[in-house]
Amino acid sequence: MVKKKRIRLIAEMARKIRAYRELKNRPRESEKYALDYDTMTRPHTRKTLPVLAWQDVRRESRLFSLLSGLRMFGVGHLFTRKSWLTEHPEAPSYWQVTKVKVDYTAENMDHGRAWGVLTYKGKQESEPKEMDKVMYHDWRLVPKHEEEQFKLYNPVPEPPIRYVSYPPLLRAMLLAQRQKDELGSAAEEPTLPLKRDVLLSKEYFRSQEKKRERQEGTAV
Amino acid sequence: MAAYTLQRCLGAVKVIHKCGSHSFIARRSLLSTAYTDSKLWDAREKDHQNLALLAALMDRTYDRNFPVSSLSISRFVDNISSREEVDQAEYYLYKFRHSPNCWYLRDWTVHSWVRQCLRYGARDKALHTLKNKVQYGMFPDDFTFNIMIDSFIKDEDFKGACSVVEEVMLQESFDLPTTQILSLYALSNYLATKPELSMSEERALGASLLISGLKQDSSIGLSAQLLGCALLGKVEMAAGIHAVFRGMPLMWTPGYLGRALAVMERVAAAPGDGKLSKDAVDYLEGLLQDLSSASDSSSGEDDESGGEEGKKEEEVVVDEDDQAERDKLPLYASRFKDLSGQLQSRGKVDPSPLQVLVSSLVQQSLASAEGPDMEQYQRKVGEWEAERQQLIRREKEMRERAEEERRAHQAAKAAAKQG
Repeated sequence: MVKKKRIRLIAEMARKIRAYRELKNRPRESEKYALDYDTMTRPHTRKTLPVLAWQDVRRESRLFSLLSGLRMFGVGHLFTRKSWLTEHPEAPSYWQVTKVKVDYTAENMDHGRAWGVLTYKGKQESEPKEMDKVMYHDWRLVPKHEEEQFKLYNPVPEPPIRYVSYPPLLRAMLLAQRQKDELGSAAEEPTLPLKRDVLLSKEYFRSQEKKRERQEGTAV
Repeated sequence: MAAYTLQRCLGAVKVIHKCGSHSFIARRSLLSTAYTDSKLWDAREKDHQNLALLAALMDRTYDRNFPVSSLSISRFVDNISSREEVDQAEYYLYKFRHSPNCWYLRDWTVHSWVRQCLRYGARDKALHTLKNKVQYGMFPDDFTFNIMIDSFIKDEDFKGACSVVEEVMLQESFDLPTTQILSLYALSNYLATKPELSMSEERALGASLLISGLKQDSSIGLSAQLLGCALLGKVEMAAGIHAVFRGMPLMWTPGYLGRALAVMERVAAAPGDGKLSKDAVDYLEGLLQDLSSASDSSSGEDDESGGEEGKKEEEVVVDEDDQAERDKLPLYASRFKDLSGQLQSRGKVDPSPLQVLVSSLVQQSLASAEGPDMEQYQRKVGEWEAERQQLIRREKEMRERAEEERRAHQAAKAAAKQG
């Protein structure tokens, strides 16, 4: 019933060549994140940085500006962000660098990608992740002689989760459902925890997006 | 060769003076000849290559956009035999750093580069590559740093020695006691010449003194910490805390003068033997007086003129934390007077200048600290050699494999043509 699809070999080849050329000529990190410090615009996208960030851009440095001057690109050192220091000064948050892939086309080895173990508000994560916001002018090196003191943290114990009873109509519905399922009314009262157990978190959506990308392949 | 004989003579002279007085002769190297000479390094297996061929190979590889192996650049540096070739090697080091393989620049290449530069009298070249470490990827290890500092100290070039110490500070590699002693010696001798210091130089000196002094627990370490904090406090008062810690491994909490006073307090309260050099205490006193008089006069002017544009801009940016620092100045001055009184009464102020303290430390501890260093160096040279041989073997294997594949491919083509 369906007409047989014509196999267009040349179009297929063109598609592959286009994908290869896109891969070869993709803009490197040094081009994408280059910044003109006088006009505070990025030449790649011709967009201006937000005004509140201008002071930080002038005073602080990018992560790779710090990494390029360190032995082995600073693997094993701790780095904080100034925004974390101002947001929650009492709980230390830092990245410990494990792997670095530097963009060698940059003149001062100023850009690249980095991976590390995050400790956010005193809680250390188990696995290294890719560091985000690496190109932000926000980063500070924690000196080795201050590392111990910086990492000190006495976490305030979290108060236990409180539970609340359901609204009456919903509670009646739940109890009716239970009775239908023959659990009996001897079971305990259904309660609602006041701390949201987030199933649909940012990590979940990001992993879904990555899965979708992998299935779809490169854009033609 | 001439350098060798000179070193040996000086080594002998140093031995004679060691058991004598405190008079210090002009040209002397602190590290023993066994430490600095390159017998062990030269005893490695030589890998003779023609530099022109290597250079041509590297150029071809770069043109075709292939990665150059770390073995080629290490061979190039090992086979340098004249001053001009040092310049060529510098160019190739730059190119290697800006290639995808920049991570794989080996430690032994850097060590070899420094040794070659020192041998062919290109010490300023080595210092230039070290200063631009971002562009050349030059991150020497502790032993190499020691050799460099020693070579500068031998020629009384304390400014150069202090630049090297600044690089050591930026890498925070004051782990070995030899490095600490050498850097303190260089810094104290440089300061003894009373040079004119710009703000960035003051910042670098202050940071080097602070970080090298933190490792040493003796009076020299504490005085170095005090002097370092004082210098950093001066920069902080003048230009704000951001100017202090930008690009340096320093803490960003404001209050470096407060930290200097905390050091004095610790020394005054500690029951041990630690003293503070009079130099450092006098410097802090002079600094506080200068700053207080400057702030008095400037605040007087401010009331009168109402602030010009330029100054107003700076004040707007420098506000909050830095203004709070400046307001604390009279508090610091009064606290300093108390603490210095306490130190004097407990006899914790050492009247000898910093230089003399450091020299006595050198005589006491340097020889004993050199021993473990040299063993570690021998071990490291062995490891580097093993790695180098492994790389050479791997390269040969890969070449053989490529040859075989090519031969098989050609045989297959010939067979296809015939058949």
